[in-house]
Amino acid sequence: MEHIRNFSIIAHIDHGKSTLADRILEKTGAITSREAVNQMLDSMDIERERGITIKLNTASLKYQLDGKEYLLNLIDTPGHVDFSYEVSRSLASCEGAILVVDAAQGIEAQTLANLYLALEDNLVIIPVINKIDLPNADIPKVKQELKDLVGFEDDEIILTSAKTGEGIDDLLRAIIERIPAPTGKKEEKLKGLIFDSIFDSYRGVIISTRIMDGVLKTGDKLKMMATGKSYEVVELFKNTPKEEKVATLGAGEVGFIVASIKDIGAVEVGDTITLHENPASSPLPGYQPMKSMVFCGLYPIESVKFEALRDALSKLKLNDASLIFEPETSEALGFGFRCGFLGLLHMEIIKERITREFGIELITTAPSVIYKVTLTNGEELDIDAPTKFPSKEKTKEVAEPYIRTNIFAPTDYIGPIMELCQDRRGTYVSMDYINATRVNIHYDLPLSEIVYDFFDKLKSSTKGYASFDYDLIGYKPSALVKMDILLNGEIVDALSVIVHKDFAYNRGKAVVNSLKEAIPRQLFEVPIQAALGNHIIARSTVKALRKDVLAKCYGGDITRKRKLLEKQKEGKKKMKQIGRVELPQEAFMSILSEGE
Amino acid sequence: MTTSLYVHIPFCKNICTYCDFCKMYYNETQIESYLDALEHELKTVYRGEKLTTIYIGGGTPSCLNISQLNRLFQILAIVKKDENIEYTIECNFDSTNKEKLDLFQKYGINRLSFGIETTKKDLEQYLGRENDLDLIKQTIAYAKKIGLSNINVDLMYALKEETLKDLEKDLDFILSLDVPHISTYSLIIEENTILKLKGEKEIDSEIDAKMYEYIGKTLRKQGYEHYEISNFAKKGFQSKHNLTYWHNQEYYGIGLGASSYIENQRIRNTRSLNQYLKGNRILEIEKLTKEDKMIYEVILNLRLKEGVSLTSFEKTYNKPLRQQFYCYDKLIDMGLLQEEEGRIKIPENKLYISNYIIEELVYGKK
Repeated sequence: MEHIRNFSIIAHIDHGKSTLADRILEKTGAITSREAVNQMLDSMDIERERGITIKLNTASLKYQLDGKEYLLNLIDTPGHVDFSYEVSRSLASCEGAILVVDAAQGIEAQTLANLYLALEDNLVIIPVINKIDLPNADIPKVKQELKDLVGFEDDEIILTSAKTGEGIDDLLRAIIERIPAPTGKKEEKLKGLIFDSIFDSYRGVIISTRIMDGVLKTGDKLKMMATGKSYEVVELFKNTPKEEKVATLGAGEVGFIVASIKDIGAVEVGDTITLHENPASSPLPGYQPMKSMVFCGLYPIESVKFEALRDALSKLKLNDASLIFEPETSEALGFGFRCGFLGLLHMEIIKERITREFGIELITTAPSVIYKVTLTNGEELDIDAPTKFPSKEKTKEVAEPYIRTNIFAPTDYIGPIMELCQDRRGTYVSMDYINATRVNIHYDLPLSEIVYDFFDKLKSSTKGYASFDYDLIGYKPSALVKMDILLNGEIVDALSVIVHKDFAYNRGKAVVNSLKEAIPRQLFEVPIQAALGNHIIARSTVKALRKDVLAKCYGGDITRKRKLLEKQKEGKKKMKQIGRVELPQEAFMSILSEGE
Repeated sequence: MTTSLYVHIPFCKNICTYCDFCKMYYNETQIESYLDALEHELKTVYRGEKLTTIYIGGGTPSCLNISQLNRLFQILAIVKKDENIEYTIECNFDSTNKEKLDLFQKYGINRLSFGIETTKKDLEQYLGRENDLDLIKQTIAYAKKIGLSNINVDLMYALKEETLKDLEKDLDFILSLDVPHISTYSLIIEENTILKLKGEKEIDSEIDAKMYEYIGKTLRKQGYEHYEISNFAKKGFQSKHNLTYWHNQEYYGIGLGASSYIENQRIRNTRSLNQYLKGNRILEIEKLTKEDKMIYEVILNLRLKEGVSLTSFEKTYNKPLRQQFYCYDKLIDMGLLQEEEGRIKIPENKLYISNYIIEELVYGKK
């Protein structure tokens, strides 16, 4: 066990984590450089396309140092703020973490958030400045940031270029020398932490585990301590990063368990496994699943796909406890699910996976937060959808969740950032100087103001230099009202939105205008109205379709023109018919538009 | 039976800003080799039918010089021609002189198609063209004098900042030429055109649709029949060649980037001159199933005022049209299709949204 090191990598998107992981895999001979081209650890298509790591993934690597062979377990973590739950899962199974910072960009807000999680877990941190080969690398400045923000010493910091391979040997040495070996005891009763699981159609649920104490063998009957379910271990393996069968997994080790588990609900990430015959007396501390922050309705465009959507959500939930869902019905959209997500990116990724992996086309309603509503009769309600918002007469008070921001940015952009936060109903708290040219700006903002395009707006008003993270700070009362949207004179429930009273007129105007852009012309004119109760506050019109024609269609064009018609029709299939009006996905999102 | 032939001449002295057809700058050496390759292709594909239409399009066929034109017509002389053949060549006014018109007439050309597009100076510039209105009048007059009176002119509209007044002037001029066929196109800014590269945008569809209505109204008043979405003709002067396409009938297409429809296959030629000269002619073959053919039949026939014949559809495909396409009744109820004397068609005032209607009919689900 003294030759095992369990560690993860913490990094901001684009700071080179996956490339660094590839280089480590390559150095340890786990893969050839040819295989490394495609970022081995990111196995989901979406991960590779977006260049981010969503579902954690584990690799066990052998490495020789000073004549001794070590087993290095690299447990991958996602870098985005939405996924800090996943990060805490991986960190709980490690003794150390590598903190990767881009030599040109410096430390970013999300990285810091994940770093704090690691520090809370008492992990040993190895600071790495990566991409030192970049022409605009500023090593002294980034070193200073690491020293000022986290208190590292100069000689602790390792310089690497994952691209050229420079410094990787130093890093591997540091992993072995600085990160402690795991401390569990093999002779104790079995305790293993389930830190991930996936569903394989042939083998059932595959559990990723870190054994803390004891030994698990093939053929053992294991027991899940929270769900109480027992299964016989069919197969144990490690990912090197090819599957490699092993006979046992002992204290300190990380590996995978196959136990013919067909019942998706039997395995809970965070649960402890032990032996059925000789169980441990108490489970591991586990960890708090993160609360869903953002809610939206997911509706299949074809209503017959409702059950298929339920099945898809259940499968995705298997290794994503943070995804929650329950059936809901909309007058406009029919049967669907109200789903809770960690954040916007999480929502986008789940939606994309449902479409891509399960072939279900979806309409997503605009994301909402949970409002706490006190009724005049004293009853308190948690409202996660605008449609459930009680009428004004019955409402005594409404409170909404607030966050406090960490916005890291160059000092040049303080003005635009403050302006943006002010527009989003923000209250200024304070500003810390990270160094002479970079600040961390703290604002208190309603969560609802950041769920949609806040991050995009922040990026564009700072030329991409700002990074953003937040902490939930609790609920505050707010003068909120429900704004309804009428198309063709009819309220479309799925388009209702909760807005602040003082901002309602401007929002109403922005929303009807952006709906006008988002709704394609139909055969007839479509009036759009925004209303507070019976009071119309803004209106606009989608003009009738006047032109949709192939002017020229001669010999050379005919095949091409047919393809054009087919493509156009494909686009229409992605629209949802509501009454006589066909709405594209963008229409459901445009209600969050803040205007220009 | 394949009785129509399209011949593509990709060369131009001047490239128009909106053109996304297969074209290239005039080059003597390339034209020589091109005509050789064209001759080879014709001899390879032509199976000896008596042709009822030939259409030489471009590019700008009239930009070839007299000896190149002579060579072209000699190449085409190997095909058998029906006594009532319609034999068209596309021309522009700059490159068409009396000598060339005489030559056309000598080789049996009996239909001319000219591009005018616009008569307003700044819009000409926008399209990358130039017109000399006197030259246009003289050329048309001479063509008529030597018996080439079956003439089409092209007009473009919905150009940047164009007004109804501008369009009215263009139409007045074109009507003054007294030609029996007029084609009109609203400007579409296609990929890979100069306009697209310049970031130009199409005009608002409201104005565009108004212009379309105005053109229809004006030309019908002057005795032209609006027989296809973009085409108007005096009685007896519809383009037989183009009707081949719209009637979903077979045709040969030879030359760079040309398409043909022969024996259930739609074939597209390469747009690369090098490949074409090397004999690597075919770019893509689409083999048609019965379903494909039914779809093409509807897409193409519904462009025509006369629409689709329900009886001949059923006879050809052994299935009634309304059984093949689910949304038929719905579209009739909505007034987007009309059934009349055994035919269905798109009402004239709905032609400008024909894509919408055709898509619903062809691809709409129950």
